[in-house]
Amino acid sequence: MIRLSRAHYEAIVAHARQEVPRECCGLLAGQGERVERVYPIANRADQAADLFAERDLMPRAGADPALLPTERYFMDPEELFRALREIEAQALQHLANYHSHPATPARPSRTDIEFAAYWPHVYHLICSLADPDRPDLRAFRIVDGQATEVPIVVEDE
Amino acid sequence: MAVTILIPAPLRRFTNEQASVQVEAGTVGEALTKLDAQFPGIRDRICEPDGRLRRFVSVFVNGRDVRSLEGLDTPLREGDEVGIIPAMAGGR
Repeated sequence: MIRLSRAHYEAIVAHARQEVPRECCGLLAGQGERVERVYPIANRADQAADLFAERDLMPRAGADPALLPTERYFMDPEELFRALREIEAQALQHLANYHSHPATPARPSRTDIEFAAYWPHVYHLICSLADPDRPDLRAFRIVDGQATEVPIVVEDE
Repeated sequence: MAVTILIPAPLRRFTNEQASVQVEAGTVGEALTKLDAQFPGIRDRICEPDGRLRRFVSVFVNGRDVRSLEGLDTPLREGDEVGIIPAMAGGR
């Protein structure tokens, strides 16, 4: 289970909406199962075409790298490093990664599952805006290529 | 040069869960070689068999990505911090 305040939930959905048609991405930090901070991170998928191509995870052969962020995310490495350092400095835990699926369901894709292999100890949240009026935020554990949904509890303060 | 290597959570199983390791090294590449001497196998997670940095790993010196510096040849000074992070990536 992962617990977030209404404000954190709204922050993730707002980030997803603000980036449309691009995917948004970021980190969630907190203690135990409770999220205490949201760290939006820039999506630099446009600079990561080689990374996706070497795993045969490009959306289409010859896809324009400038459009990659609409179908892929790659967290800006320096921002990610700073956020992880800050999380440790504040004695918080890195609990989860989040990203959006602007036009598809909140289910881990093959690409999500492959890259989650490096982060089996955190939750993976996906915010779907397939129905723009009804955002769907879901959390998963992804271990050994298997995604298991985990309940999200949104707490009203 | 004594430098500190910050080990990311996904690689701490190689370092007996240590979050940082001190080594003596003059370049980033040398620091990774020294790290691997202490914790065999960890370098293969960071570098390709031909020695290049793996695409899904970023290495930092004092928070700057070495891809924007001199890669594994980036020189180190006393007290520098070398960070390592696997990519966080995915998509629909």
